[in-house]
Amino acid sequence: MKINGVEIVDTFAEAFPMKATRIIITAMTLKWAYQAANAIRGFASSVIACGIEADIERELKPSETPDGRPGISVMIFAMSIKELEKHVPTRVGQSVMTTATTACFSGLDGEQKVSMGKSLRFFGDGFQISKVINGKRFWRIPVMHGEFICEDTSGVTKAVGGGNFLVLAKTARQGLVACEKAVDEIQKLPGVITAFPGGVVGSGSKVGSKYGFLTASTNEAYCPTIKGQVKSELSDEVGSVLEIVIDGLNEESISEAMRVGIKAACSFGYSKGICSISAGNYGGSLGPHLFHLRKLLK
Amino acid sequence: MSALTFTLKSKPKFNLDMSPITSDKLQNLTLDKIKKLKLAYGKEKVSVDSLFTVNGSDKNTIIINKSCEQLICIGKDMSMGNITVKGNVGDFLGQLMKDGNITVNGNAGSWTGNGMSGGRINVKGNVLDYTGAGLPGDAFGMTNGLINITGDAGDRVGDRMRRGIIVIQGKSGDYCGSRIHAGTIIVLDKVGQRPGESMRRGTIILAKKPAHISSTFKSCGNLKMQFLRLLFTQLSKIDDDFLFFSKYGPVAHRFSGDLARNGKGEILILKTMNKR
Repeated sequence: MKINGVEIVDTFAEAFPMKATRIIITAMTLKWAYQAANAIRGFASSVIACGIEADIERELKPSETPDGRPGISVMIFAMSIKELEKHVPTRVGQSVMTTATTACFSGLDGEQKVSMGKSLRFFGDGFQISKVINGKRFWRIPVMHGEFICEDTSGVTKAVGGGNFLVLAKTARQGLVACEKAVDEIQKLPGVITAFPGGVVGSGSKVGSKYGFLTASTNEAYCPTIKGQVKSELSDEVGSVLEIVIDGLNEESISEAMRVGIKAACSFGYSKGICSISAGNYGGSLGPHLFHLRKLLK
Repeated sequence: MSALTFTLKSKPKFNLDMSPITSDKLQNLTLDKIKKLKLAYGKEKVSVDSLFTVNGSDKNTIIINKSCEQLICIGKDMSMGNITVKGNVGDFLGQLMKDGNITVNGNAGSWTGNGMSGGRINVKGNVLDYTGAGLPGDAFGMTNGLINITGDAGDRVGDRMRRGIIVIQGKSGDYCGSRIHAGTIIVLDKVGQRPGESMRRGTIILAKKPAHISSTFKSCGNLKMQFLRLLFTQLSKIDDDFLFFSKYGPVAHRFSGDLARNGKGEILILKTMNKR
């Protein structure tokens, strides 16, 4: 199968179950909502070492937010609710509460919940106030800029993490241009995020390592500089491989994001240095969600 | 299915306890059995059909026509369904209510929403005293839910309330929000004397400056309260009855108190109609 001369390798991406929550950050202006959103998604590229994966989902109009101010929706993924419980309150506390004029709300309903204001209220040192409005509990924490309003908890839902595809290009510049376009298209879709910086992974990993203390290490089969030394998956013309990793609320949203992303990357064609599209998998041992590239693009 | 409708034949002489007429209690009864239900009437018990004409079949939607002040305890203990009343009602409307909706197209008596823990009461008229309050001896008044009064309210609105929201679109009497433990009371017209007397926590939002505030409340100045922005936005999204809240802005003069009793409550006097 080829699109614009770009070969679609007959392989599949392998994804795994995760837990996700969505939080809504509002502020006096969109600029300050972005300040908080960018802070909370910092150092949240991979669960391998960050504990969570997080990114901005989309901007929200004032009519879409609980307090009628401009806002940003941020999605946070982790391997378990325990991990979310560990990271969400600290990140909301250190990244959102500390940003001037912000407020933080839940963007998901779910039977399972992760603490936000429930933990952060203690910062109010006894002056915090609880309010139940329309069945939801909010905390009013007096802070130096006025009041930090934070919903008690945020809903947690089952999700899928690790949907991916690889862009094999002649040069890093050509690969990056194609990936940028793919990420731009994926970011227009609801319910998915690309948590790595700029949405592109420059150093994709495989599971395990020769070193016992490492859970992940470089994916040498796709490293162009050592293709003569290892059992490489790369042809002679490939000089750079970039990966796009997608987390989503369900299989359907990831399928759609992969399809849109791959088509965008392929739009540059073989003539502009995009050799082929592949995907990362571990023979089906990593997770139950398999995304066959050729089936997606039919 | 048409609504289960109870039409009062004539105005009763004594108080009539309407508490058996709720969706939950009627759910498994046939129309004939409903007609034979006994209601406490003064010192006696009388069957429903001796006082009401009953028709319709939808037990989740109950309509009471030609109601009057003698009908008390309407919607008591209800946990589901809708009750619509055409006419005035007596005391204890929605007492101990857990969920569902009651709408009264007329005035209501005292103790409206007494001890309610959920659901919503709309009174499209005035209410007497002790709306959302607890009975003497009760630890708390209402513990959750929403009461919306489009007219005026009597004294001691929300006395000892623990949680929930009371909206008085007209005037409120004296001691509004007295002894409240928490919760929110909004009064959109004038309020009587001593609002928030002995309040522990909770919020009283007044659209008009009261004539007098107790010296045990301390001014925190004019502030832009993010909480008000959230509250008004959320209330305006409930339904068209509350759409007008979108006109209210977040600037308010905050008084904290009652310092004679913990002092963690607040009276917020709105700078009315200040657009966002």
